[in-house]
Amino acid sequence: MVLKAKFKATTVAVLLSMGLALYSVRAIGGPSASAAQADAAQESWQKEFDSICAQTEDAMTFSQAELTDLIRRCDNLQPRIEKLDESRKKVHLERLRKCRGLYAYVLDAKRLDSKAKEKK
Amino acid sequence: MLACEILLLAYLASAQIYLPKPAPEPSEYGKVVLDNYPGTEPGAVVFDHWLHRSKFTCRVCHVDVGFAMEANATGINARTNREGFHCGACHDGKKMFEGKTIFAACSAAPRDERCDRCHSLGKRGVRKYEYKEFTARFPKGIYGVDWEAAEKSGIIKPADFVEGLSVNTAKMKNRKDFSVEAAFPWVHPIDFSHAKHSLWNGCELCHPEIFPIAEKGTLHFSMFSNIEGHYCGACHGKVAFPLNNCQSCHPRAPAWVPYPGR
Repeated sequence: MVLKAKFKATTVAVLLSMGLALYSVRAIGGPSASAAQADAAQESWQKEFDSICAQTEDAMTFSQAELTDLIRRCDNLQPRIEKLDESRKKVHLERLRKCRGLYAYVLDAKRLDSKAKEKK
Repeated sequence: MLACEILLLAYLASAQIYLPKPAPEPSEYGKVVLDNYPGTEPGAVVFDHWLHRSKFTCRVCHVDVGFAMEANATGINARTNREGFHCGACHDGKKMFEGKTIFAACSAAPRDERCDRCHSLGKRGVRKYEYKEFTARFPKGIYGVDWEAAEKSGIIKPADFVEGLSVNTAKMKNRKDFSVEAAFPWVHPIDFSHAKHSLWNGCELCHPEIFPIAEKGTLHFSMFSNIEGHYCGACHGKVAFPLNNCQSCHPRAPAWVPYPGR
């Protein structure tokens, strides 16, 4: 009976210490892990942003399908930028709006041009 | 007959009202006052386009850095500057330009005379550069500095990249110049140079916001809309050469009376 109680107490103690240890590891690793995640997230949206907006000068050379894809990528990126801090969001949303606007404008021009050619 | 005469007189009167106003003095031309917090210290910012456009393209500031084309529409504040955006994209106390460190905008340091370099409205002798001295060696046109000639001659080399914000882009491949026929037979056609405009502006500064219609031949704009600040008037008449400078767009038009001595 005593042995059983002792075993129970030891098991509880072991489990408690394991829990505490796990919690501590998480607590110690927490900030740096989340910082790393934040860095990765930052790098990821920035890469996509750079890749999209680096192509504006070539917009006239793209096909309608390529332009549609760029517009889709802009739309997908927007909610990610909306989650950034205030200053970053303000600047990059405006910039993204300009990139998207240009691609949509060129796409419109190409569609109208194709229609005009079809009529001829 | 009388009705026709009245109509004609009314039309002429309205045209008279809509003639471009004489351009301000070159030192005042393109001056923008930014006063997001009226009546508070350190006071309104005076931004002179002539100083910055000698160093940067229009595109880099109005696209990459994100300055709106209207005063007080960007939402610039000390915080965005300190965090490396807006003015702080260059004015961070670290970046170098022409061998000099660019002073930090809205730094956390206590208020001193450095603040007045930008927050200069109504303050005398606080600015570092004055128009006359700064532009002394630049080629002049009838309305102040001839920026196109200044760049062509190599006196200015406007940078088109700001570290940390600009994206490496390929140079535009499709830059066809074209002629725009006027709706009225007595108006000379416009020779529009895409090459010149895209060099300083890129594509997305003008399209679609300033020139939104994608179908060729469907955009009908006039000098009236330009004078009101639309289309060409978004820049010409505010920062780029004034609308009075007819021959720069309508090369076969008669010359406007120049303003001597500028």
